[in-house]
Amino acid sequence: MSLLSSARAATSRPSTDPPDDLVVVPARHPWRWVAAAAVLLVVAQFLHGLVTNPGWEWGTFFGWFFEKSVMDALLITLELTFAGAVLGFAGGILLAPMRLSKNPVLRTVSWTFIWVFRSVPLIVQLLFWANLGYLYDRLQIGVPFGPGFLHFETSSLVSAFGAALLGLALHEAAYAAEIVRAGILSVDSRQMEAAAALGIPRLRQFRRIVLPQAMRAILPNAANELVNLLKSTSVVYVLAIGELFYQVQVIYGRNGRVVPLLMVATVWYVVLTAALSVLQHYVERRYSRGYVR
Amino acid sequence: MIEISGVHKSFGTLEVLHDITLTVPAGSVTVVLGPSGSGKSTLLRCINHLEKVDRGRVRVDGELIGYRRAGTKLHELSERHILKQRARIGFVFQTFNLFPHMTALQNVAEAGGGIELLERVGLADKAHSYPRQLSGGQQQRVAIARALGRRPKLILFDEPTSALDPELVGEVLDVMRDLAKAGTTMVVVTHEIGFAREVADTIVFLDEGRLLEQGPPTEVLDKPRHERTRAFLSEVLV
Repeated sequence: MSLLSSARAATSRPSTDPPDDLVVVPARHPWRWVAAAAVLLVVAQFLHGLVTNPGWEWGTFFGWFFEKSVMDALLITLELTFAGAVLGFAGGILLAPMRLSKNPVLRTVSWTFIWVFRSVPLIVQLLFWANLGYLYDRLQIGVPFGPGFLHFETSSLVSAFGAALLGLALHEAAYAAEIVRAGILSVDSRQMEAAAALGIPRLRQFRRIVLPQAMRAILPNAANELVNLLKSTSVVYVLAIGELFYQVQVIYGRNGRVVPLLMVATVWYVVLTAALSVLQHYVERRYSRGYVR
Repeated sequence: MIEISGVHKSFGTLEVLHDITLTVPAGSVTVVLGPSGSGKSTLLRCINHLEKVDRGRVRVDGELIGYRRAGTKLHELSERHILKQRARIGFVFQTFNLFPHMTALQNVAEAGGGIELLERVGLADKAHSYPRQLSGGQQQRVAIARALGRRPKLILFDEPTSALDPELVGEVLDVMRDLAKAGTTMVVVTHEIGFAREVADTIVFLDEGRLLEQGPPTEVLDKPRHERTRAFLSEVLV
């Protein structure tokens, strides 16, 4: 209020200068400098600590960062992420139109699936699948005790990986379904109407008109979910699968160097997330065609 | 060409079309006038089955739209058949509804057309522009080119210039005038009385879902028989 009135007073004051001689001086922002200096001070202090605090054990960190067992574990993490994302989003692309369908059976089944798999914590689900796999193995053989148990032990590694992947994929499908549904809902209904008026077949409408436009809303959320999945793979350590987090635990269990080995896992997760962010940038640019002037 | 007989349509308890009977001969231009909410758009959308009629029949070239008759019953056609029927009926929307992720040419190609259709609406030089890079008038011309893509026998226009800035209306009406001259069968919902007077063979006046009068422009516009028509015309001609 007072700013406004003083500005008015300034402009209404008679001036003898010709108007084209007046020079524009941008507003000064001294507090921005103060805030920046304060933040930089904190950052500098943190970096100084990283370098000088011997507890970080950077030598140990670099010794393990590219070590073979860590590399193998990284590969398993990537496999779980990739397979979980592919299966999860395939499920999501199926479940989302089901939930939007006019068919009440499809709608209810999809709704229930999403409800259940969003409700159960991933870690609980993983343990459940691991144990269900054990049950099914016994049932398959059809012998009540001994032999069934032996069979489980021989294939335990495969079953554990299968259980982990199943858990991740189902969990992911529930979230992906909602992300895809949000994308479809974001497309103006007049687009479907225009496509219908042109007589474009239903599947082609979805593929050529709806999905490319829905992608703009889907991508940021899908990238978020992918990063989340990458980190969620660390939860499968409960099934003793040798992914990144499990592997560094094994190593620090042996040598007791907890902090540098946690940093090995941390930095790898950060690097992979950065790579996904770069990928996200390019994919989003591809789907923004026609939306920037 | 188009025969509409005894069409009724309600949304819930609101009756938007009441016993509409109308014939549009091939190669003629029919302009539908009426106050907002009178059912003009709904009537247009019933012709290509974007809305289902509750009662009555719509035929295009003798073919029943949206239904198949078996004895005394009308069976609704499968979506695939309806889409096939729609392909022969062009539709131009008030809000253009171009596909924003496709260039002008891709939009037209999606309907099976090519650059020659963009030439026809005077936009061949904009073939590789996206809708967002075009003015409203240009977008609507692309939309008309797209509607021509399927070589429709008939084109329906739903207030094609209502969303445009006044200075852009002319270019769209010019394209429509050319189509009319070329003998395209057209049904146009519009408030452009000048265009109606010049181009229309028949003017139809709707009010509260009823077809109050129809006839050549010289009759309906100059000597309206109905009080509601007079009141409407005096308002839009101000």
